[in-house]
Amino acid sequence: MKKNLWVVLLVLAGVAAAAWWRFHVPSETQSVVVYVSHDEVFSEPILRDFEKETGIRVRAVYDTEETKSTGAMNRLMAEKNNPQADVYWANEPIRAEVLRQQHIAAPYLSLNADGIPARFRDPQGYWTGFAARARVLIVHKDENPKPTSVFSYADPRWRGRTVIANPLFGTTTDQIAALFVLLGDDRARAFMQGLHENGVKLSPSNGDSADLVARGQFAFSLVDSDDVVNRMKQHEPVTMIYPDQGADEIGSLIVPNAAVLIAGSPHQDAGKKLIDYLLSKETERKLAFSDAAQIPLHPDVATPPGLQPIESIKIMTVDYAAIATKLQAIQSFLKSWAES
Amino acid sequence: MANARWATTMSMIEFRSVCKEYHGRRVIATLSLKIEAKERVVLFGPSGCGKSTVLHLIAGLVIPDAGEILVNDELVATAKKNLREPQQRGVGMVFQDLALWPHMTVRENIEFGLRAKRIPKKQRRQRVKEMVDLVGLDDYLSTKSGELSGGQQQRVALARTLAVAPGIVLMDEPLSNLDDASNVQLRKEIVRLHGDLGFTLVYVTHKRDEAEALRARIIFLRCGRIDDASSAVR
Amino acid sequence: MEKRVTLAAGALALTVIGLMPVLMIVASTFYVAGEFSLTTYQALLASSKQLAPLMGRSVLLSLSVTLLAMMVGTPLGVLLGKTDLPLRGAFTMLVTLPLLLPPYVIAVAWFAVLGSTGWIGRFLAPTTSEFLSSAFFGFYGCIGALSTAFMPVVMLLTIAYLGTVNPRLEQAGLLMSRWPSVLWGITLPLIARAILFAAVLVFLLTLGEVGVPTFLRYPVYPVEILTQFAAFYDFSAATAAAIPMLIITAVILVLEIRLLHTSALELSAATIGRRNAPIELGRWRFPLFGLALVWTLVMVALPIAELIVQSASLSAFADAFSRASDSILRSVVFAAIGATLLTLLGFFCGYLIHNRTLPLWRSIDALALFLFTLPGTVIGIGLISLWNRPITNAIYATPAIIILGYLAQYAVLPTRMTAATLQRIPPSLEQAAQLCGASWFMTLRHIVAPLAKRGLIGAWIIAYIFCLRDLGITLVVYPPGFDTLPVRILTLMANGAPSLIAALCVILIAVTLLPFFVGALWQTRAGRPP
Repeated sequence: MKKNLWVVLLVLAGVAAAAWWRFHVPSETQSVVVYVSHDEVFSEPILRDFEKETGIRVRAVYDTEETKSTGAMNRLMAEKNNPQADVYWANEPIRAEVLRQQHIAAPYLSLNADGIPARFRDPQGYWTGFAARARVLIVHKDENPKPTSVFSYADPRWRGRTVIANPLFGTTTDQIAALFVLLGDDRARAFMQGLHENGVKLSPSNGDSADLVARGQFAFSLVDSDDVVNRMKQHEPVTMIYPDQGADEIGSLIVPNAAVLIAGSPHQDAGKKLIDYLLSKETERKLAFSDAAQIPLHPDVATPPGLQPIESIKIMTVDYAAIATKLQAIQSFLKSWAES
Repeated sequence: MANARWATTMSMIEFRSVCKEYHGRRVIATLSLKIEAKERVVLFGPSGCGKSTVLHLIAGLVIPDAGEILVNDELVATAKKNLREPQQRGVGMVFQDLALWPHMTVRENIEFGLRAKRIPKKQRRQRVKEMVDLVGLDDYLSTKSGELSGGQQQRVALARTLAVAPGIVLMDEPLSNLDDASNVQLRKEIVRLHGDLGFTLVYVTHKRDEAEALRARIIFLRCGRIDDASSAVR
Repeated sequence: MEKRVTLAAGALALTVIGLMPVLMIVASTFYVAGEFSLTTYQALLASSKQLAPLMGRSVLLSLSVTLLAMMVGTPLGVLLGKTDLPLRGAFTMLVTLPLLLPPYVIAVAWFAVLGSTGWIGRFLAPTTSEFLSSAFFGFYGCIGALSTAFMPVVMLLTIAYLGTVNPRLEQAGLLMSRWPSVLWGITLPLIARAILFAAVLVFLLTLGEVGVPTFLRYPVYPVEILTQFAAFYDFSAATAAAIPMLIITAVILVLEIRLLHTSALELSAATIGRRNAPIELGRWRFPLFGLALVWTLVMVALPIAELIVQSASLSAFADAFSRASDSILRSVVFAAIGATLLTLLGFFCGYLIHNRTLPLWRSIDALALFLFTLPGTVIGIGLISLWNRPITNAIYATPAIIILGYLAQYAVLPTRMTAATLQRIPPSLEQAAQLCGASWFMTLRHIVAPLAKRGLIGAWIIAYIFCLRDLGITLVVYPPGFDTLPVRILTLMANGAPSLIAALCVILIAVTLLPFFVGALWQTRAGRPP
């Protein structure tokens, strides 16, 4: 009996060694490491297809904005001096911009980016946008008249009946920062103050906001277009409204995914191949017609049902680099705003 | 015992001004004593007078705060330092709670010390046989030690201690949990074994009749000192 | 000699694995742009007006959860560990389940039950259900979910230590009095240390918990640290914000050590293998059974049943396996390796603490507990800054980094369990082996380890469970392509189908229970007469 424990320990040590050998990955050239902030449910199939087509093994770290995990982005920053990732697949260009400003990104101009409008690309190729979401209003069917603008949040008609995701995270942060860039600090602060005065509630994420509106607990909310498309597919009583589409209005903020090559990473060539693949029309098509419901940026890729083609949307004219800078400047304001 | 291998070495014990404190309480106060080889000595005194500590000091389980301890004229411990580890002193001990290993059979208990000394299996078996014959436990070799009666456990503890033929055997109130009949009988056997095997025996008890029945030199301990007056009267 | 060297090596290992990463990040808070600076602390001080109420909330929540967990866990432990209540084993298993899951899963499941479309919410008037869900989202929901998750800590430790009480002490009491007063006057005071330790664990686990308060929108201090990391990528601010948590932890630790040392109660030594017969409940048997049944149903069975119902389709499980079979395998392998190494490390550290061989035993004990209570994110970031160098890529770029994280964070569990187990082995058993001429290793192998076997297996299982459910560290340090099941569940939760998530949670439960089944098999085999 007394020997048993040691035998068990030994066997376990053996298993450990075997598992180590099995799981230890030599730094082969035919692999690529990608950190992904796009939802794993949608991004993983794309990466598997890439593996199948190229034979290059993809090793991924996933992260989601909804869970506010401290994954990919913090790791990229923490690993700055010894990068592990070759590619960062950001779900919005602001983080990509932050990486460029922190000298973590490397420039790469992919041939597959031809056709993607220049406004969705960094001119030097530090990041390239693809497959976008629009920031839209999700409105409950019974709501009449319907809101048409982000400024409807401050309209007394909807006092206490609107909800917005926590502006400390995700695309909502981008949206607020964009408003600061567009309107200037004073008007933007006044607008945010107006939200408070009009009783706007905070939810943890865009998905929660969309659910709350679908359940009829709130009249409308500012969310991402894919949130609305999915609720509509499930026949929830909601509609999608692109805000501020009038001739003299500011337009809808478009948030593309962004592919970033990481500076000094171990597999630069494989990384470039992966970026080429992500920027391809095929990938845009997959992301458009899956539940990810992204808006294609290549002009000759069809737009999925429920969404407008990119050309027909009045797009908010704003420089993503400026948003990234502004975002870092208004951090403490957003924090105290969210807490008050 | 015909086997020369198991001959007992002659061992004398000497304490020179040994002190020991626990948590600021002085348990042994400048104790000096000498025990000759093959001598039979009883340490006698009230509870808490430091009797057990003396045994632990001899065995090396406790390190003195001051003074020197010699076994066979060799310095084994000095202030705050063990020069010889307990394994190397040739000391055997029967503990107050007997300290039989409950997960082992009687055979394994007795055999353990022989295995530690890397004795070949055949000789080990033979020695175990000698020991159980010596203490009269033949039928119980594959019984777990926890399943024996108090007197039988006592014998196992004795056999285990004697198996490696230590030069010094320490006994810490070994008979305290036995009924009177077994107590008397085992006492006699201890005296017999001491006569046959010729080790140095240091026996601790707080019972006067037990101390007297062993027909040994009695050292009275009181508050960590030898009570010379009482010892002299003996 | 070999003893001192080995134990020193164990202590050193814990220090290097656990303390170095923490020192690394503490040091980094003093360096801004490569120069010594206190600006991060000035910023921390400046925001103390916002931080103080957050910390107040954290402490209040932790105190409430601890109190509730003690009030429920101790009687439940006595009931399940000491009486003839029917189906004790099944109750123990069921009530323990929530501890095995990441706590946010409990909150999610509860919400599914209470929400307006849930099993309970459905039958309530809309106003009542709205009131319930608004109460649930906040302080009370946090208390409910976290005390369900952590109450088993108190219960299990109570059961475990009840088994160590010398039955003779209780028998002596029973001659003069009846069971209730014996329990109250003799048994419970004897295990008071264990209950106190359980309380400290629950308090600190709650203090570091982020998943549940985030989900239930109750802003507490550690969420603020996470916000610093997640929203602003502000490494040094987040680390500086962690310092007050370190201080609170240290204060609690000092208090615990004080209390332990003024307590003169020692667990009895010679209790191996003997136990008193269970307390006969008599006419209370069925009322108490009913009470336990209701509690188990409401707190545990309903939420978990909800999970199972949500997952109950073949396609959900097929999807779960196609998505996560690698992660499941990795989870089990990593947890098994982690648990084995933890048991080894914990054995030596526990031995050191029990035996007090080296004067630094108390620091090792405190260090292990301290690491356990640090938020996993902090340890993770520390591991990155320590190991992410080209030279150490063999560790950083492989699962070894996850294992190191487990060792750092969870060492206290096997350490304390070993120390508690060793305390039950009379020192004379080890001394007798020594005097027989056995070396220290031989004594360990043939005497100590076999006698401590049950405790060590218990330590292994606990370590396995904690490794398996770990999220904080794994999420931050897992090498690309090496995620574990809880990480995968979390990342798939974003837009993943609820049935898929539920199926993965059910798989997680099954995988967690694996060693229990193996252990039960072992027990039945070992229990058989030869």
